[in-house]
Amino acid sequence: MTDFATSPSTTTGQRLRAAGSAVASLPFAYAATLILLIAAYFMRPALLSPMLLLLIARQAAPLGLAAIGQSLCMRVLSIDLSIGGVIVGVSYILTGGLLPFSDPVLMLIAIAFGVAVGLLNAFFITRLRASSVIVTLAVTLIITGVAVAFSQLRSPGDAPEMLRQVSRLKIGIVPVALLIWLAVLIPIAVFLRMSVFGRYIDAIGANPRAAWVSGIPYVRVVTVVHVMSSLFAVFSGFLLIGFVGVGSMDLGRDLALNSLAAVILGGVTFGSGKGGVLGPTVAALMLTFSFNLLTSLGLGEPAKLMLQGLIIGVAAAAYSIQRKT
Amino acid sequence: MISFHNVTKRFGSNFALSDVSFDCKAGSVHALTGENGAGKSTLMNLLAGVFSADGGEIRLRGAPIAPERPADSQRLGISTIFQELTLLGNLTIAENLFLGREPMRRGMVDRAEMRTCARAALARLGSTLDVDTFCGDLSVADQQLVEIAKGVSTDADIFIFDEPTAALNAPEVEKLGELLASLKAAGKLVFYVSHRLEEIFRFCDQVTVLKDGAHVETRPTAGLDRDQLVSLMVGRVLSQFYPERPSGPPGGPVALEVDRLQIEAGGPQVSFSLRQGEILGLAGLEGQGQRSIIRALGGLQPAVAGAVSKHEGSQARKLDLSVVQTVLAGIGFVPEDRKIEGLYLPLSITENIGIGMLRRSSIWQMARTRRDVIASLMARMEIRSTSARQLVGQLSGGNQQKVMIGRWLASGIDVLLLEEPTRGVDVGAKAEIYALLRDFADNGGAVLMISSELLEVLGLCDRILVVRQNQIVAELEGSAASEDEVMRLALTGRAANLAESHA
Amino acid sequence: MLDLKRRSRRTGLTPIALALPLALFILLCLSSSTFTSLENLANVNSQIAALLIASLGQAIVAISGGIDLSVGAVMGLTSAILVTVDPSLAVPLAYAMGIAVGLVNGLGVTFFNVHPLVMSLASMTFVQGLALLVNPVPGGVVPGYLRTLAVSEPLGLPAALFWSVGVILLAWYLLNRTRFGLRTYAVGANPASAQRNGVSAARHKVACYVLCSLAAVTAGIFLTARVGAGDATMGAAYSLDTVTAMALGGVQLAGGAGSVLGVVAGVLTLGLISNGMNLLGISPFLRAAVTGVLLLAAIGLQRREAIGA
Repeated sequence: MTDFATSPSTTTGQRLRAAGSAVASLPFAYAATLILLIAAYFMRPALLSPMLLLLIARQAAPLGLAAIGQSLCMRVLSIDLSIGGVIVGVSYILTGGLLPFSDPVLMLIAIAFGVAVGLLNAFFITRLRASSVIVTLAVTLIITGVAVAFSQLRSPGDAPEMLRQVSRLKIGIVPVALLIWLAVLIPIAVFLRMSVFGRYIDAIGANPRAAWVSGIPYVRVVTVVHVMSSLFAVFSGFLLIGFVGVGSMDLGRDLALNSLAAVILGGVTFGSGKGGVLGPTVAALMLTFSFNLLTSLGLGEPAKLMLQGLIIGVAAAAYSIQRKT
Repeated sequence: MISFHNVTKRFGSNFALSDVSFDCKAGSVHALTGENGAGKSTLMNLLAGVFSADGGEIRLRGAPIAPERPADSQRLGISTIFQELTLLGNLTIAENLFLGREPMRRGMVDRAEMRTCARAALARLGSTLDVDTFCGDLSVADQQLVEIAKGVSTDADIFIFDEPTAALNAPEVEKLGELLASLKAAGKLVFYVSHRLEEIFRFCDQVTVLKDGAHVETRPTAGLDRDQLVSLMVGRVLSQFYPERPSGPPGGPVALEVDRLQIEAGGPQVSFSLRQGEILGLAGLEGQGQRSIIRALGGLQPAVAGAVSKHEGSQARKLDLSVVQTVLAGIGFVPEDRKIEGLYLPLSITENIGIGMLRRSSIWQMARTRRDVIASLMARMEIRSTSARQLVGQLSGGNQQKVMIGRWLASGIDVLLLEEPTRGVDVGAKAEIYALLRDFADNGGAVLMISSELLEVLGLCDRILVVRQNQIVAELEGSAASEDEVMRLALTGRAANLAESHA
Repeated sequence: MLDLKRRSRRTGLTPIALALPLALFILLCLSSSTFTSLENLANVNSQIAALLIASLGQAIVAISGGIDLSVGAVMGLTSAILVTVDPSLAVPLAYAMGIAVGLVNGLGVTFFNVHPLVMSLASMTFVQGLALLVNPVPGGVVPGYLRTLAVSEPLGLPAALFWSVGVILLAWYLLNRTRFGLRTYAVGANPASAQRNGVSAARHKVACYVLCSLAAVTAGIFLTARVGAGDATMGAAYSLDTVTAMALGGVQLAGGAGSVLGVVAGVLTLGLISNGMNLLGISPFLRAAVTGVLLLAAIGLQRREAIGA
């Protein structure tokens, strides 16, 4: 790349301008994080203690994992709103008491369940070309409907001990959940940057029709993306269930929308063929921090919803304006 | 009637038009021509209200006008027949003709009135289509006809025809000529934007040539000939437009064998072979099935029956006709519509070309982008850009076309299928693309192309297969074939002599 | 039959879409003795009237090439407004809110070029939050005149029937007899082409979103009046139910095709399934699952060009 940057035709002015537009095209999540931290410094400085920040980071881990999957979906012009449904399903599998197996086996079943949901989504989206939003919402309806109907029969039990341990344990002052998040995040980021898979994702995002015409295995890529997204949702569910300690049918209900907000804030937009993993990650941290700030200011669920709606709408609008100019 | 005074239009820092001035008289057909990007579409878009000018003024009967949207220009009596088809498939012919100016009665759309007027408008073009047919059920040629009927049915004084004959067959072009003559006789001004020199000389009284956004010349067509017009357009005399064919008959081994390929159930079958080292052209009138054949070979459109096998050395492998499989087998397809089907406009040149190199990789492998290969390819293809990182969306049509072809050259395929290889490409880039294709063939590649520009097929191809009604009706030697011969075959399916066809 | 097939380019109707509610009706007649009672049929009608009103609005947006997931939240906010604001101001305020939400959705989609799903998800979330802020706990008193409009029985027929017939006629007139209707189909099929024909595609789409929100407000008013109490989350299921109903009725999510008849058929299908499950004593939680399955089936059968959102 450097051979082009240092070619004699680029002047200092051009380079400065390029740097300026590079800063302007950074995901909003970075600027928003900065603003939030400053706001917190003046309003609730206690939130900025390293201890609390680490706790907030731990709390953000499920959202962060879900956001990775969501960002992959959005980069291939799809959306996965079945994340909440998958988590309810995982919760029911692990704590519903319906299956007489040991915890590790149940967790494997939950993973298989995630793969199955991903394949189902992908089948409808790629083979039948149905709208991904509608498909994944319908899948959520089905999973939650069935899980809730069954859970009326028997109240949910405790979370597997292993998951509760993971949520509680720390290495030094760093929560294990946070480390798990990083352990998933970094290899994925490297893989997407280096692999053929990553290139194909960019191509499909930029022009799906051209991707098909030039022989990119479109269906396989989108299928893998949806399976990955469902798997991230399963892991996200593992962490959540560990945090809560018992099974619940309300678990992860707002995760689908929050992950969407995180991805949009993190700079992944439809049709640009661009997007990374870092942006959504920072956005997941930022969103979680903002919810804590709102709670500490005495604002509840309604304010959280309104903020979320505003973030998604304004960020999406701002990006498309940016892209036009 | 219309005069342009120092009209200027900028897009960013680029001047699309600078200081264009000329006059047009009522009761004439005024051709507007020039290379792609010369500014003729921009100029007409100013008149049609799609853009507004940055400087200068347009005067209509002496009074300055500045239409800001298409509706303004319609009110001024300017009717535009756009190049792209704008008909809506879910509306009937009558509804399409009156969309945006529906006749009303008691607060409701007056359907009876709409039908009557629609029938009358079609009749002027000699068409008797049922006005209640949904436009989505019409052939492309019929759609183009309805499009023209629509433009002409408005009560306007000035008509803009932007490349109106793209999808029309010879008899319909004939009808269009009559229509233009009748508009002229009625004292209207007609702008005729076209690349087709033959039509400019046949239909138009005046011709204005634009080059790089500047006005070159406005002259009566009567005093001009083809060569003069072309040299006005390009500003240089093209000595060697088409690359030289290799001497001797094309005798390379077979690269692709097509055996009884059938596109539609019950339809005809086509068989032919494509040899290494040759450029093979499918010629014929628009909509005669060339497109389906090449798309089926590219795996983009299903075929009902038939076998296609690819030869490598002495091995012949039967192909499964899906895009992923054909690309894997070393067959690249270059679509006609580069923006929609070909390129990744928001991505860089490097990314657009580099993705071709991943052709044989599994999705789980690491991707290697050979920047040195791309750089040398770009140099060889003379892709003009600020850097290899420039976004493809910012390039000119010709350079975009080169990127699209370059992707396949970088990927190491040996059979190239091309649809309209130089559509929307300026004259200079055309010659460069022809040279590239010849070079590819000389190095053992095989090229199959379709083109609606007959001269291109005649000038470039080693062999020509004439397609008519989904069938191959003749095979001709490229260097020996004449325009007249191919047209006659395409029209009648027979190489009848002139006297007979006139009888 | 041939004409149905030819016209399906415009209406999206298929024989299955029309036969499904009839088949369900016959099935329920045979399997449940209480189904055909006048009381139950009136009940079905009032249960589906709100869905019908909201679905027709959704269909207009869908025909114009968009989708509006904020329908349910708008219904919830309407409900919250009706029980918290002064009775004389409640209805105008609710409609003003509807116009505002419709404008935001429409402007976001057209001028800011945000994907309709993302835009309406955003407004759905915001409006739902606002509704909960206005009326955190279900309850409150519904203005008396509204109650009368929703539950009285003029001429011995349930009020819901008049509401239903009224909106059906209105929607039919709008889509099939006016300029607005014709242009909605045009914009949905290809906004750029419509634009070149002098139809302002952006303005038209905004108008469609506003109409959809107004329909949602109307549905919210009817539902709140019928239930007799405010509930900010009342519409939660409606966003998807409206999409399901119209997709079942052949309205194409890609835009440009759909019909009032189809929407009625789709709403009837959903209503009959719901009523049937109720009569047969099946868990109400499974209703959501059945809706999901139907939705998958309905959109799985629609052929689209694009893969993705």
